[in-house]
Amino acid sequence: MKKNFKAIIQIILMAAAMFALTVVSTNHVSAADTSLQRVKQRGELIMVTSPDYPPYEFQVNKHGKDQIVGMDIDVAKKVAKDLHVKLVIKSMNFDSLLVAIQTGKADMAIGGINPTAARRQSVDFSKIYYTGGQSFLINSSDVNKYKSVKNLKGAKIGAQTGTLQYGLAKKRIPNASVKGMDKSTDLVLALKTHKIDALGIEKPSAEAYVKNDPSLKMIPSGYSLNKNETGAAIAFKKGSTSLVNAVNKSIDQIKAKDLTSQYLADAGKYMKVNTVNTSMFHYWKYFAKGVEYTILISIVSTFFGVLIGVVLALMRFSKQKWLRGLAISYTEFIRGTPLMVQVLFVYFGIGVVVNIPALISGMIAVSLNSGAYVAEIIRGGINSVAKGQTEAAESLGLSKGDLMRFVILPQAFKNIWPALGNEFISLIKESSIVSIIGVTDLIYQLNIVRADTYRGVMPIFVAMLLYFIMTFALTRVLNHFEGKMKHAG
Amino acid sequence: MQDKKILEVNHLSKKFGNNEILKDINGTVKSGEVICVIGPSGAGKSTFLRCLNLLEKPTAGEVKFEGTDLTNVDEKQLINLRERMGMVFQSFNLFPNMTVIENLKLAPIRVKHMKDDEAQKVAMHLLDRVGLAEKANAYPSSLSGGQQQRVAIARALAMNPEVMLFDEPTSALDPEMVGEVLEVMNELAKEGMTMVVVTHEMGFAKEVADEVWFMADGYILERNKPVELFDNPQNERAKDFIGKIIQNV
Repeated sequence: MKKNFKAIIQIILMAAAMFALTVVSTNHVSAADTSLQRVKQRGELIMVTSPDYPPYEFQVNKHGKDQIVGMDIDVAKKVAKDLHVKLVIKSMNFDSLLVAIQTGKADMAIGGINPTAARRQSVDFSKIYYTGGQSFLINSSDVNKYKSVKNLKGAKIGAQTGTLQYGLAKKRIPNASVKGMDKSTDLVLALKTHKIDALGIEKPSAEAYVKNDPSLKMIPSGYSLNKNETGAAIAFKKGSTSLVNAVNKSIDQIKAKDLTSQYLADAGKYMKVNTVNTSMFHYWKYFAKGVEYTILISIVSTFFGVLIGVVLALMRFSKQKWLRGLAISYTEFIRGTPLMVQVLFVYFGIGVVVNIPALISGMIAVSLNSGAYVAEIIRGGINSVAKGQTEAAESLGLSKGDLMRFVILPQAFKNIWPALGNEFISLIKESSIVSIIGVTDLIYQLNIVRADTYRGVMPIFVAMLLYFIMTFALTRVLNHFEGKMKHAG
Repeated sequence: MQDKKILEVNHLSKKFGNNEILKDINGTVKSGEVICVIGPSGAGKSTFLRCLNLLEKPTAGEVKFEGTDLTNVDEKQLINLRERMGMVFQSFNLFPNMTVIENLKLAPIRVKHMKDDEAQKVAMHLLDRVGLAEKANAYPSSLSGGQQQRVAIARALAMNPEVMLFDEPTSALDPEMVGEVLEVMNELAKEGMTMVVVTHEMGFAKEVADEVWFMADGYILERNKPVELFDNPQNERAKDFIGKIIQNV
């Protein structure tokens, strides 16, 4: 046990060393500012955003095609046009936007980001291109109760985690209990079901909701704020001065011509189109795409998970001490860390060294994770085969490989089939975590539909049903094979 | 030919930790001989038998199979030599994931690289010999203990071994099934198969064995023709053991 412990410590140290190296190399890159040159050479400006925040950015179906639109997108398009490069849009969680630019996944991040002092410490910002201001959403039924922000004293207030609104509500509303959630759609739902009394949100967003939902009303925040807390700016990796300067020129033009008013009006038009038909059937393509990706990730990860699992399990039975140690350390480490952290590490951490697309990163993380669990299941299965089987095979002169292939593994797999099936089913469900890095799996699509339709519950119900159909179908298939193996008792 | 040494054991000892199970065992098995090993439980009989094909690795001493010392060869050679020594276990150890005929064919095909139809022929012939041809496509779990043990014997014979090792082949059987297994072994002995049998079946030993070895406390204390050993044991422990067995019969 002590030995294992030592091995684990070694691995942790190695990981720490790798991380330190990463930080050093990151700083090194930023020392020479080639940010603008790189974008021009590539001919592409890569931008990340979190398209669940109408009217800043949101996803619509235009002429049968999924598109991300909104005021911010128009700003980014203008910037790209002025730089004479193509705009490439990547989407992910708001929480991950700044990480994405720090790790070089994108050149810039946009998304109604307020350039606060705290954020300025880790990223560079352009000039402010739009000043919206803060407000609160409340239920129409509470109009008399919450006439102004003063009445919110001691109320339950919701805000998106990691946003300025969250921090402001905590600091400025006396005795308020502030509840944070990832998605503004979840927050609106929480408001409508009276789990919270008010929702801190940017004014343009609040206006969009009020327009689309008569059960909501808006009150001004009454915060006295400086520009950095109300304005939206574009975020860049630290040290991208040349790129920031180039972008600022476009922003100067935007402000001079007041282009944002036009952009907002355009976004409003999309929103009107968008809310005509909010039936779930109208969005079947969104769900179909989500199901497709979830199935794709599950199949690929199951395949590689089993492969990794078999290799690890055989390593556990190796005569080489170091192979056994490696397998044990791997299994313990993977089982001891959350899948979510592993997904983030593969995408952002390893992404600093090699740039892996989000979908592949997700598959790698889920496969590596599943491999550790499958290895333990297979190991148990191999141990469950009676010792006499090995002896009988050895006395017949069978090689170690044939012994495993024809005698041990077939029996082991039969014994572990139910446990393995369980692992496959949880893999389908747990693969949903890849949505945080912007993989368009079912959960990701579900959030898009919710942002799009302003309907909180129905998309969740549809996704739940779809997950159940997938896992139930898999259960039937697994039972079929279990029945086939049964006669060989 | 009759004098050809198949197995030769010199100064064999086996320890499990500090527990010495076998102490300085010596013995020779010649071609065509049937040796029965008897003795009280805990004497080391099974460990001795398993040392003969190195399922247990001896702590010291030599185990020579046709002149080659098995304790001194690499893994690959050992596998090659093992295929020429058949072994039958107390608990049958058939492969439950395969049919009877697949159990018989696996080693000839994988180890001897026999063609499938040839292996099939050999296997069917052997199943016929042990009276189980009609069970060829059954799974082991559907057979009785006696039938499973006959299949296990046929499986070992399919490799055409030069010696057969039996580790208490009837101990796990219901009494009414012991006869059918002993009958198969009896015929095998008559055909001239070299056999080492650890058994409690004194009747079988008396009828078939060329020599009976009496083991106790990790030693072979007496070896003799069955009639001599059963009717007139010299060693005190052997006297005591045989006396008890005859009382029980």
